[in-house]
Amino acid sequence: MDQPATTIPKIRCEDISKEFIQKGRQRVHVLDHISLDVKENEFVVILGPGQSGKSTLLRIIAGLETPTEGHVLIDGREVEGPGPERGLVFQGYMLFAWKTVLGNVEMGPKLRGIPKKERRETAAHYIHLVGLDGFENHYPHQLSGGMKQRVGIARAYANNPQVMLLDEPFGQLDAQTRYFMEKETARIWETEKRTILFVTNNIDEAIYLADRIVTMEGKLPGRMHVVYPVDLPRPREHTDMAFLKLRHEITEASELTL
Amino acid sequence: MVDVANEVQKQVREKRPFTVMTVLKNRWFLYAVSVAAFFLIWDRVAIARVFSSGLPRPYEVVLQLWSMMFDPLAGKSLLGHVWASTQRILIGFAIASLVAVPLGLMMALNRYVNAIVKPLFDLLKPMPPIAWISIAILWFGIGETSKVFIIVIGTFVPCLLNAYNGVRLVEPELYDVIRMLGGNRRNEIIDVCFPAAFPAIFAGLQISLSIAWTCVLAAELVSARSGLGFIIILGMNLSRPAMIVGGMVIIALVAWGMTLLVTGLEKLVCPWKREIEGL
Amino acid sequence: MAYEYVQVKTPLVLRLLPVLSIVLFFGAWQLVVDWGIVPSTMLASPIQVFQLFLVKWTEVNPDGGLLSQHIWTSVQEAFIGYLLSLLVGIPLGLAMGWFVVVEGLARPFFEMIRPIPPIAWIPLTIFWFGIGLEGKVFIIFLGGIVPCVINSYVGVRMTNPTLIQMARTYGATDWQIFRQICIPSALPMVFGALQIALALCWTCLVGAELLAADSGLGFLITMGRRLALPDMVLLGMIMVGLTGAVIGVIIDYFEKKLLAGIRR
Repeated sequence: MDQPATTIPKIRCEDISKEFIQKGRQRVHVLDHISLDVKENEFVVILGPGQSGKSTLLRIIAGLETPTEGHVLIDGREVEGPGPERGLVFQGYMLFAWKTVLGNVEMGPKLRGIPKKERRETAAHYIHLVGLDGFENHYPHQLSGGMKQRVGIARAYANNPQVMLLDEPFGQLDAQTRYFMEKETARIWETEKRTILFVTNNIDEAIYLADRIVTMEGKLPGRMHVVYPVDLPRPREHTDMAFLKLRHEITEASELTL
Repeated sequence: MVDVANEVQKQVREKRPFTVMTVLKNRWFLYAVSVAAFFLIWDRVAIARVFSSGLPRPYEVVLQLWSMMFDPLAGKSLLGHVWASTQRILIGFAIASLVAVPLGLMMALNRYVNAIVKPLFDLLKPMPPIAWISIAILWFGIGETSKVFIIVIGTFVPCLLNAYNGVRLVEPELYDVIRMLGGNRRNEIIDVCFPAAFPAIFAGLQISLSIAWTCVLAAELVSARSGLGFIIILGMNLSRPAMIVGGMVIIALVAWGMTLLVTGLEKLVCPWKREIEGL
Repeated sequence: MAYEYVQVKTPLVLRLLPVLSIVLFFGAWQLVVDWGIVPSTMLASPIQVFQLFLVKWTEVNPDGGLLSQHIWTSVQEAFIGYLLSLLVGIPLGLAMGWFVVVEGLARPFFEMIRPIPPIAWIPLTIFWFGIGLEGKVFIIFLGGIVPCVINSYVGVRMTNPTLIQMARTYGATDWQIFRQICIPSALPMVFGALQIALALCWTCLVGAELLAADSGLGFLITMGRRLALPDMVLLGMIMVGLTGAVIGVIIDYFEKKLLAGIRR
C-alpha cells in the first residue's frame, strides 16, 4: 500500500526493550516495550521522575545504546549508531574545555570537512541564535551554567541535525535560570523548527514546552504511562488556567504510579 | 538580549581594616622578618664556628659565586655547568616522554596493551631510579650516556602514569559527544582523548622535573666532570664549603626557575585547568 | 522483574597476557646473558642473581657484610629519618595551614629549602658529619619533610569553610577550631603524605648510601660496581625495590586501618 510521505513519522520507536548488565553482576530491565511516534517538527517531551528509564530511551534513539529488542527508525531508516543526523544536548553540558565557544560550536561542521569560512559563518549564526553574541572567544570555564548549556544547544544545532534530543538539559540550573532557558528554548525552536525530543522530570517545564507529553511510569522497567496532547497557544503562561488544569491532571496521575 | 543570564565568573576581593596587629600578622611582613632572621642567624652561626669544618658566611658564598661566574672551573664557567646539567635533563626528559606518553595513552585505550605492559611496569616501579646508577655506569661508562640514561629511567614512570591516568579520567560522555557530532574512533582519540588528558600529562611534567633534578645530581655526584653536582662534590673534595653552599644555592635557583617556567607554560597551554589553593 | 544477577567473565587472553609478559621478560633476560649477547661483565642473569641472593645470607665476602646486615642498616636509617620527618613535618605543616604567624615565619625558609633536591645536601653533609648514621638520617629527613609539610598544609587549607564558620558561631577559639576541626579534616591528606614521604625517603637513602657508606643496600650496589660484579649490583637493586615495596605495603595497611571510617 502506498503511504503519502507526510504520514511517515520522523521518529518511530517500535517495541523498544532494554536490559543492562550492571557491574558484571546485575541485569537491570530498564525499558519494557516502548512504542512511540514523533511527527516532523513536533516538540515531544518525555516526562518522568528519576530512574524511570527516560534517559536510556533517549540514548537509544540517539544511537549510543542498542535496544535489546525492537528498533528505532528515523525518516524510515533504522538507527545503527551515533551520528550527526541526531543532535544530543547533555545534562552535564559536556563542552570541550580546551576549545572556545566558537570552537565548540563549529566542531560538528569541522568533523564533516566543511571549509573554515563556511563553518565560521554557521557557528556565528547559531551562537547568535542562542543569544551568546560577544562570547565567541570565551572558554567554557568562564561561563555560567545557563550559558554553557546554550553553547551545548548551539553546538547540536550547528550540525544541522534532523532531530534534536535533549536529556534533562536544565537539570543543573537554578529555578530562575531554568525559566529563562525554557523561554529561550521555545524561542529558538520557533525561529528554527526541528523535531525535538526533550526529557525532563519537571512537570511545569513539560507543559510549557511540549506539543505532546509522554509520561513514564515512575519505576523500572520503564513503561509509557499516559500521553497528553498540549494544545495551548504559544507563548504559554505558567499561570494560565488551562496550563494549571493540565498541570493538576498530570500531577494527580503521576502520584498514582509512584 | 537578556544580560541577567549572561554572568561571566569573576573574582571578588575583600578589604580589611589597618591596625598594628594586622601589620604584625600580615603575611608579607612576616615573610620579610623570616628571611632577614634567616640570614642573620646564618651569619652568626658561621662566625661562631658551630660547625667546626666550616659554615661559610653568606657573604663568602656570594663572593664564591661571583668568581665562579667569571673564572672557569674545570674548563667551564658557572653558566657552562648550569647548561651541562640542564642539557642532560632536557635530553633525558625528551626521550622519556616521547616513549612514555604514547605508551601511557595506548595502555589506557587498549586493554591488551595494558595487560602486557602493566605487570612489567609494576615490577620495575618500586626501584628508585638512583639505584640504577651503578648498573648504568657498568653498561655505559662514566660519560654522558649513563647520566642521560638515569634521567630517562627516572622521568619515565611519572610521565607514563600521568598519561595513563589522564586518559582514564576523561569523562566518558565526551566521547559520546564527538560521536554524535559525526566523529569516528580516530576523532575520539585525537579530538577528545588527547586534549582532555593534556592537563594531566602536563602535571606529570612538574613531578618529572624534580625527579630529573635528583637523578642528574646523583649521577653527577658519583662521576662527572661538569655540571652542578660536579661543583658541589668538588667543593667537598677541596674542602671549600663556600663552593659547596654556593653550588647548592645555584641548584636551588635553577630548579626554582625551571619550575616557574613549567608553571608558566602550563598556564599558557592549558588555560582551562582549574586551580586548587596550595603551595 | 527489574533486577537479576548474571556473571560476566574477562576473556581468557586478557588473564593470560600479564603472566606471559612477565615470563617472556625473565626468559629474555636469562637468554641474553646465557647466549653472550651481553657480556657477563655487564649483566647477570636472573638465576645468577638468585644464587647470589641465597649465598649472601651466610657469606660475608666480598663486600664485608651479610645480606641481612645490609637490609637492617638501610631499613634502620630510613626508618629513623622517616619518623623524624613525620614528627617535624606534619605538625609544622598543619600549623602553617592555620596560623598566619607560623606560616609567615616558616614559609620563606621552607620555600628556600624546597627546590634543593635532598641529594644536593650530600656533599655538605659528608663534609660536616662524615659518613656515619647522622649524616644519612639528615638527608633522609630532608627528603621526607617536604611532602609532609605540603600535604599537611594543603589538608588544613582544604577544610570546609562552612565547618569553620559553624564552629565560630559556637564561640570556639582559634586553637579549638584548629584541634577539633582542621586537624581531623586534614587527616586524609596527611596520610597521603605518608606514602609519598616514604618513597622519597627511600630514594634519598639509596642516594646517600651510594656515596658514603660501609654498609647498607646502596653500599652493596656501589661495591658491586667497584668490583665489577653485576650480580651484586642487580641483587642490591632488586632488594632495594623489594624492601621499599614491602614497607609501602605495611604503611598502606596501617593507613587503611586508621582511616577506616573517614572517606577520602
